[in-house]
Amino acid sequence: MNFSEEQIERYSRQIVLEEIGGIGQEKLLKSKVTIIGCGGLGSPVAYYLTAAGIGHIKLIDFDKVDLSNLHRQILHFTDDVNKEKTKSAYEKLHKLNPDVNIEIVKEILLPENIKEILKGSDFVIDGSDNIPTKMLINDACVNLKIPFTIAGVVRFNGQVITVIPNKKTACYRCVFGDITEHEPSMSCSQAGIIGLIPGIVGCIQANEAIKSILGIGDLIINRMLFLDLLKYRFSFIKIERNENCVSCGDKSLDLVETLDYRIGDACFE
Amino acid sequence: MRALNELNEESNSSDQKLDILGKVCPMTFVYTKLALEKMNSGEVLEVILDFPAAVKNVPDNCQRQNIGELLDIKVIENGKKKWVLTIKKI
Repeated sequence: MNFSEEQIERYSRQIVLEEIGGIGQEKLLKSKVTIIGCGGLGSPVAYYLTAAGIGHIKLIDFDKVDLSNLHRQILHFTDDVNKEKTKSAYEKLHKLNPDVNIEIVKEILLPENIKEILKGSDFVIDGSDNIPTKMLINDACVNLKIPFTIAGVVRFNGQVITVIPNKKTACYRCVFGDITEHEPSMSCSQAGIIGLIPGIVGCIQANEAIKSILGIGDLIINRMLFLDLLKYRFSFIKIERNENCVSCGDKSLDLVETLDYRIGDACFE
Repeated sequence: MRALNELNEESNSSDQKLDILGKVCPMTFVYTKLALEKMNSGEVLEVILDFPAAVKNVPDNCQRQNIGELLDIKVIENGKKKWVLTIKKI
Protein backbone atom coordinates (compact mmCIF):
# COMPACT_ATOMS: atom_id res chain seq x y z
CA MET A 1 0.00 0.00 0.00
CA ASN A 2 1.30 3.44 -0.86
CA PHE A 3 0.36 5.95 1.80
CA SER A 4 -0.26 9.56 0.87
CA GLU A 5 1.98 12.19 2.48
CA GLU A 6 -1.03 13.21 4.56
CA GLN A 7 -1.61 9.66 5.77
CA ILE A 8 2.04 9.25 6.72
CA GLU A 9 1.85 12.45 8.77
CA ARG A 10 -1.58 11.65 10.28
CA TYR A 11 -0.65 8.13 11.39
CA SER A 12 3.04 8.81 12.05
CA ARG A 13 2.85 8.21 15.80
CA GLN A 14 1.27 4.81 15.21
CA ILE A 15 3.65 3.90 12.42
CA VAL A 16 6.54 4.66 14.80
CA LEU A 17 5.23 1.99 17.18
CA GLU A 18 7.12 -1.27 16.87
CA GLU A 19 3.83 -3.22 17.10
CA ILE A 20 2.13 -1.29 14.28
CA GLY A 21 4.40 0.25 11.63
CA GLY A 22 3.27 0.76 8.05
CA ILE A 23 2.21 -2.88 7.83
CA GLY A 24 -0.12 -2.58 10.83
CA GLN A 25 -1.47 0.76 9.66
CA GLU A 26 -2.37 -0.78 6.33
CA LYS A 27 -4.25 -3.56 8.16
CA LEU A 28 -6.19 -0.96 10.15
CA LEU A 29 -7.06 1.00 7.02
CA LYS A 30 -8.34 -2.16 5.38
CA SER A 31 -10.43 -3.29 8.34
CA LYS A 32 -14.10 -2.89 9.18
CA VAL A 33 -15.43 -2.37 12.70
CA THR A 34 -19.09 -2.18 13.68
CA ILE A 35 -20.00 -0.17 16.75
CA ILE A 36 -23.40 -0.72 18.31
CA GLY A 37 -24.58 2.43 20.02
CA CYS A 38 -23.33 6.01 19.66
CA GLY A 39 -23.70 6.77 23.36
CA GLY A 40 -21.38 6.71 26.35
CA LEU A 41 -19.30 3.75 25.18
CA GLY A 42 -19.78 4.19 21.44
CA SER A 43 -18.60 7.81 21.47
CA PRO A 44 -15.01 7.25 22.66
CA VAL A 45 -14.79 3.97 20.74
CA ALA A 46 -15.84 5.63 17.48
CA TYR A 47 -13.66 8.67 18.14
CA TYR A 48 -10.44 6.74 18.72
CA LEU A 49 -11.03 4.14 16.00
CA THR A 50 -11.76 6.90 13.48
CA ALA A 51 -8.64 8.74 14.59
CA ALA A 52 -6.60 5.53 14.36
CA GLY A 53 -7.63 5.05 10.74
CA ILE A 54 -9.90 2.02 10.87
CA GLY A 55 -10.88 2.12 7.20
CA HIS A 56 -14.57 1.33 7.51
CA ILE A 57 -16.64 2.07 10.61
CA LYS A 58 -20.30 1.16 10.84
CA LEU A 59 -22.33 2.96 13.51
CA ILE A 60 -25.67 1.62 14.70
CA ASP A 61 -28.12 3.70 16.73
CA PHE A 62 -31.82 4.50 16.51
CA ASP A 63 -31.92 7.11 19.27
CA LYS A 64 -31.81 10.90 19.41
CA VAL A 65 -29.49 13.04 21.52
CA ASP A 66 -30.93 14.05 24.89
CA LEU A 67 -29.58 16.81 27.11
CA SER A 68 -28.99 14.24 29.88
CA ASN A 69 -26.66 12.29 27.56
CA LEU A 70 -24.09 15.03 27.22
CA HIS A 71 -22.17 14.48 30.46
CA ARG A 72 -20.87 11.17 29.10
CA GLN A 73 -21.61 10.85 25.37
CA ILE A 74 -18.71 12.92 24.13
CA LEU A 75 -19.52 12.87 20.41
CA HIS A 76 -22.63 14.98 20.99
CA PHE A 77 -22.75 18.70 21.77
CA THR A 78 -25.45 20.95 23.19
CA ASP A 79 -26.75 22.04 19.79
CA ASP A 80 -27.13 18.37 18.80
CA VAL A 81 -29.99 17.80 21.27
CA ASN A 82 -32.89 16.10 19.47
CA LYS A 83 -30.65 15.25 16.50
CA GLU A 84 -30.24 11.61 15.52
CA LYS A 85 -27.18 10.24 17.30
CA THR A 86 -25.79 8.62 14.15
CA LYS A 87 -25.99 11.95 12.29
CA SER A 88 -24.42 13.87 15.17
CA ALA A 89 -21.66 11.25 15.42
CA TYR A 90 -21.04 11.23 11.67
CA GLU A 91 -20.59 15.01 11.57
CA LYS A 92 -17.83 14.94 14.20
CA LEU A 93 -16.11 11.78 13.00
CA HIS A 94 -15.99 12.84 9.36
CA LYS A 95 -14.37 16.12 10.39
CA LEU A 96 -11.90 14.24 12.58
CA ASN A 97 -10.72 11.93 9.81
CA PRO A 98 -12.17 12.14 6.28
CA ASP A 99 -9.97 9.15 5.41
CA VAL A 100 -12.45 6.84 7.13
CA ASN A 101 -15.59 5.49 5.48
CA ILE A 102 -18.25 6.02 8.13
CA GLU A 103 -21.48 4.18 7.49
CA ILE A 104 -24.50 4.87 9.65
CA VAL A 105 -27.47 2.60 10.32
CA LYS A 106 -30.52 4.15 12.01
CA GLU A 107 -32.11 0.92 13.18
CA ILE A 108 -32.83 -0.97 16.37
CA LEU A 109 -30.73 -4.10 16.44
CA LEU A 110 -33.12 -7.04 16.36
CA PRO A 111 -32.83 -10.79 15.73
CA GLU A 112 -34.30 -10.09 12.28
CA ASN A 113 -31.62 -7.64 11.12
CA ILE A 114 -28.53 -8.24 13.25
CA LYS A 115 -26.75 -10.78 11.05
CA GLU A 116 -27.14 -8.70 7.92
CA ILE A 117 -25.84 -5.63 9.79
CA LEU A 118 -22.81 -7.35 11.37
CA LYS A 119 -21.83 -9.54 8.42
CA GLY A 120 -18.39 -8.72 7.01
CA SER A 121 -17.13 -6.97 10.15
CA ASP A 122 -13.62 -7.75 11.37
CA PHE A 123 -14.59 -6.75 14.90
CA VAL A 124 -17.82 -5.76 16.66
CA ILE A 125 -18.10 -3.47 19.66
CA ASP A 126 -21.08 -3.48 21.98
CA GLY A 127 -21.90 -0.03 23.27
CA SER A 128 -25.53 -0.81 23.97
CA ASP A 129 -27.30 0.09 27.18
CA ASN A 130 -29.26 -3.09 27.88
CA ILE A 131 -28.64 -6.76 28.59
CA PRO A 132 -30.99 -8.24 25.93
CA THR A 133 -29.08 -6.37 23.18
CA LYS A 134 -25.75 -7.51 24.63
CA MET A 135 -26.98 -11.11 24.58
CA LEU A 136 -28.18 -10.70 21.00
CA ILE A 137 -24.81 -9.27 19.94
CA ASN A 138 -23.05 -12.14 21.73
CA ASP A 139 -25.15 -14.82 20.06
CA ALA A 140 -24.95 -13.28 16.58
CA CYS A 141 -21.18 -12.76 16.73
CA VAL A 142 -20.62 -16.28 18.09
CA ASN A 143 -22.71 -17.61 15.21
CA LEU A 144 -20.98 -15.43 12.57
CA LYS A 145 -17.58 -16.11 14.19
CA ILE A 146 -16.73 -12.41 14.45
CA PRO A 147 -14.45 -11.28 17.31
CA PHE A 148 -16.24 -8.84 19.62
CA THR A 149 -16.14 -7.04 22.93
CA ILE A 150 -19.01 -6.40 25.32
CA ALA A 151 -18.91 -3.84 28.11
CA GLY A 152 -21.18 -2.55 30.81
CA VAL A 153 -20.99 0.67 32.80
CA VAL A 154 -22.98 2.01 35.72
CA ARG A 155 -22.26 4.35 38.67
CA PHE A 156 -18.42 4.33 39.02
CA ASN A 157 -18.12 0.77 37.73
CA GLY A 158 -17.33 -0.91 34.47
CA GLN A 159 -16.74 -4.37 33.08
CA VAL A 160 -15.33 -5.62 29.78
CA ILE A 161 -14.97 -8.99 28.08
CA THR A 162 -13.68 -9.87 24.61
CA VAL A 163 -14.69 -13.02 22.78
CA ILE A 164 -12.85 -14.66 19.88
CA PRO A 165 -15.29 -17.28 18.54
CA ASN A 166 -12.73 -18.93 16.26
CA LYS A 167 -10.53 -19.61 19.27
CA LYS A 168 -13.52 -20.81 21.31
CA THR A 169 -12.94 -18.37 24.16
CA ALA A 170 -15.58 -17.97 26.87
CA CYS A 171 -18.55 -15.89 25.73
CA TYR A 172 -20.80 -13.40 27.51
CA ARG A 173 -23.37 -16.14 28.10
CA CYS A 174 -20.72 -18.39 29.67
CA VAL A 175 -20.59 -15.67 32.34
CA PHE A 176 -24.21 -14.58 32.63
CA GLY A 177 -26.14 -17.57 31.32
CA ASP A 178 -29.67 -17.46 30.02
CA ILE A 179 -31.25 -14.06 29.94
CA THR A 180 -34.68 -15.39 30.77
CA GLU A 181 -33.38 -16.23 34.26
CA HIS A 182 -32.62 -12.58 34.99
CA GLU A 183 -34.81 -9.65 35.86
CA PRO A 184 -34.01 -6.54 33.83
CA SER A 185 -31.24 -4.72 35.69
CA MET A 186 -31.28 -1.07 36.61
CA SER A 187 -30.43 1.28 33.77
CA CYS A 188 -28.11 4.29 33.92
CA SER A 189 -31.04 6.63 34.29
CA GLN A 190 -32.08 5.02 37.58
CA ALA A 191 -28.73 3.98 39.01
CA GLY A 192 -26.73 7.02 37.87
CA ILE A 193 -23.35 7.07 36.19
CA ILE A 194 -20.21 9.15 36.37
CA GLY A 195 -19.57 10.59 32.92
CA LEU A 196 -16.01 9.39 32.53
CA ILE A 197 -16.52 5.68 33.23
CA PRO A 198 -17.77 4.90 29.70
CA GLY A 199 -14.83 7.02 28.47
CA ILE A 200 -12.31 4.76 30.18
CA VAL A 201 -14.13 1.53 29.36
CA GLY A 202 -14.80 2.61 25.76
CA CYS A 203 -11.09 3.33 25.30
CA ILE A 204 -10.35 -0.21 26.49
CA GLN A 205 -12.86 -1.57 23.96
CA ALA A 206 -11.23 0.45 21.16
CA ASN A 207 -7.87 -0.92 22.25
CA GLU A 208 -9.28 -4.46 22.08
CA ALA A 209 -10.46 -3.84 18.50
CA ILE A 210 -7.08 -2.51 17.37
CA LYS A 211 -5.16 -5.32 19.08
CA SER A 212 -7.47 -8.01 17.75
CA ILE A 213 -7.17 -6.71 14.18
CA LEU A 214 -3.38 -6.47 14.43
CA GLY A 215 -2.93 -9.67 16.43
CA ILE A 216 -0.79 -7.95 19.07
CA GLY A 217 -0.65 -8.07 22.86
CA ASP A 218 -3.09 -9.84 25.17
CA LEU A 219 -6.84 -9.51 24.87
CA ILE A 220 -9.42 -9.68 27.67
CA ILE A 221 -10.35 -13.25 26.77
CA ASN A 222 -11.29 -16.04 29.14
CA ARG A 223 -11.40 -13.37 31.83
CA MET A 224 -13.40 -10.28 32.60
CA LEU A 225 -12.03 -6.90 33.60
CA PHE A 226 -13.81 -5.11 36.43
CA LEU A 227 -13.15 -1.45 37.16
CA ASP A 228 -14.20 0.39 40.29
CA LEU A 229 -13.24 4.04 40.03
CA LEU A 230 -14.43 4.89 43.52
CA LYS A 231 -11.93 2.60 45.17
CA TYR A 232 -9.54 2.35 42.20
CA ARG A 233 -9.84 -1.37 42.00
CA PHE A 234 -8.98 -2.88 38.64
CA SER A 235 -9.29 -6.63 38.66
CA PHE A 236 -9.51 -9.56 36.30
CA ILE A 237 -11.81 -12.48 37.05
CA LYS A 238 -10.94 -15.71 35.28
CA ILE A 239 -13.76 -17.10 33.14
CA GLU A 240 -13.94 -20.61 31.75
CA ARG A 241 -15.81 -21.49 28.62
CA ASN A 242 -18.90 -23.53 29.40
CA GLU A 243 -19.04 -26.54 27.07
CA ASN A 244 -22.79 -26.62 27.63
CA CYS A 245 -23.27 -22.88 27.03
CA VAL A 246 -26.49 -22.28 25.12
CA SER A 247 -24.67 -19.85 22.82
CA CYS A 248 -21.10 -21.06 22.27
CA GLY A 249 -21.35 -24.61 23.66
CA ASP A 250 -20.46 -27.69 21.66
CA LYS A 251 -24.09 -28.53 20.93
CA SER A 252 -25.50 -25.01 20.88
CA LEU A 253 -28.17 -23.90 18.45
CA ASP A 254 -28.33 -20.64 16.55
CA LEU A 255 -30.09 -18.64 19.26
CA VAL A 256 -30.66 -15.61 17.04
CA GLU A 257 -33.10 -17.69 15.01
CA THR A 258 -34.95 -19.14 17.98
CA LEU A 259 -34.87 -16.86 21.04
CA ASP A 260 -37.20 -14.04 22.04
CA TYR A 261 -34.77 -11.38 23.28
CA ARG A 262 -37.45 -8.91 24.43
CA ILE A 263 -35.38 -6.09 22.90
CA GLY A 264 -38.50 -3.94 22.64
CA ASP A 265 -39.05 -4.09 26.41
CA ALA A 266 -35.46 -3.06 27.05
CA CYS A 267 -35.24 -0.26 24.49
CA PHE A 268 -38.48 1.51 25.23
CA GLU A 269 -38.90 1.16 28.99
CA MET B 1 16.94 15.86 -5.83
CA ARG B 2 20.34 17.30 -6.75
CA ALA B 3 21.79 15.75 -3.62
CA LEU B 4 20.34 12.41 -4.56
CA ASN B 5 21.99 12.60 -7.99
CA GLU B 6 25.31 13.39 -6.36
CA LEU B 7 24.71 10.39 -4.17
CA ASN B 8 24.00 8.15 -7.12
CA GLU B 9 27.29 9.14 -8.68
CA GLU B 10 29.13 8.42 -5.46
CA SER B 11 27.77 4.97 -4.83
CA ASN B 12 25.62 2.41 -6.53
CA SER B 13 25.89 -0.29 -3.93
CA SER B 14 22.47 0.31 -2.33
CA ASP B 15 19.19 -1.35 -3.31
CA GLN B 16 17.02 1.64 -2.41
CA LYS B 17 17.59 5.33 -1.88
CA LEU B 18 15.48 7.63 0.26
CA ASP B 19 15.62 11.41 0.16
CA ILE B 20 14.21 12.91 3.35
CA LEU B 21 15.98 16.27 3.20
CA GLY B 22 13.94 18.81 5.12
CA LYS B 23 12.18 16.17 7.25
CA VAL B 24 12.58 16.31 11.02
CA CYS B 25 12.21 13.70 13.78
CA PRO B 26 10.18 11.58 14.19
CA MET B 27 9.20 11.77 10.49
CA THR B 28 12.77 10.88 9.53
CA PHE B 29 12.35 7.51 11.24
CA VAL B 30 8.78 7.08 9.94
CA TYR B 31 9.90 7.43 6.30
CA THR B 32 12.94 5.22 6.87
CA LYS B 33 10.81 2.53 8.54
CA LEU B 34 8.24 2.59 5.73
CA ALA B 35 11.04 2.21 3.16
CA LEU B 36 12.65 -0.67 5.07
CA GLU B 37 9.31 -2.48 5.46
CA LYS B 38 9.04 -2.71 1.68
CA MET B 39 12.51 -4.23 1.31
CA ASN B 40 13.80 -7.77 1.69
CA SER B 41 16.07 -8.87 4.48
CA GLY B 42 19.73 -8.12 3.67
CA GLU B 43 18.97 -5.35 1.17
CA VAL B 44 20.61 -1.98 1.71
CA LEU B 45 18.91 1.41 2.02
CA GLU B 46 20.69 4.73 1.62
CA VAL B 47 18.99 7.61 3.40
CA ILE B 48 19.98 11.20 2.75
CA LEU B 49 18.87 13.67 5.42
CA ASP B 50 19.78 17.03 6.92
CA PHE B 51 18.22 16.97 10.38
CA PRO B 52 21.18 16.58 12.77
CA ALA B 53 19.35 14.65 15.54
CA ALA B 54 18.17 12.06 13.04
CA VAL B 55 21.74 10.89 12.42
CA LYS B 56 21.57 9.21 15.82
CA ASN B 57 17.80 8.75 16.23
CA VAL B 58 17.09 6.93 12.97
CA PRO B 59 19.76 4.19 13.36
CA ASP B 60 18.98 3.85 17.10
CA ASN B 61 15.27 3.29 16.41
CA CYS B 62 15.98 0.89 13.53
CA GLN B 63 18.19 -1.11 15.87
CA ARG B 64 15.72 -1.02 18.78
CA GLN B 65 12.86 -2.25 16.58
CA ASN B 66 15.13 -4.79 14.93
CA ILE B 67 14.34 -3.62 11.40
CA GLY B 68 17.65 -2.15 10.23
CA GLU B 69 21.35 -2.16 11.02
CA LEU B 70 23.54 0.90 10.43
CA LEU B 71 26.45 0.11 8.12
CA ASP B 72 27.85 3.55 7.41
CA ILE B 73 27.44 7.30 7.88
CA LYS B 74 28.79 9.76 5.31
CA VAL B 75 28.81 13.53 5.73
CA ILE B 76 28.31 15.83 2.75
CA GLU B 77 29.72 19.26 3.61
CA ASN B 78 29.07 21.32 0.45
CA GLY B 79 26.29 23.81 1.25
CA LYS B 80 24.01 22.84 4.13
CA LYS B 81 25.39 19.84 5.98
CA LYS B 82 23.80 16.54 4.96
CA TRP B 83 24.27 12.95 5.97
CA VAL B 84 23.97 9.69 4.10
CA LEU B 85 23.04 6.74 6.30
CA THR B 86 23.57 3.26 4.92
CA ILE B 87 21.18 0.85 6.62
CA LYS B 88 20.81 -2.89 6.04
CA LYS B 89 17.32 -4.34 6.36
CA ILE B 90 17.29 -7.00 9.06
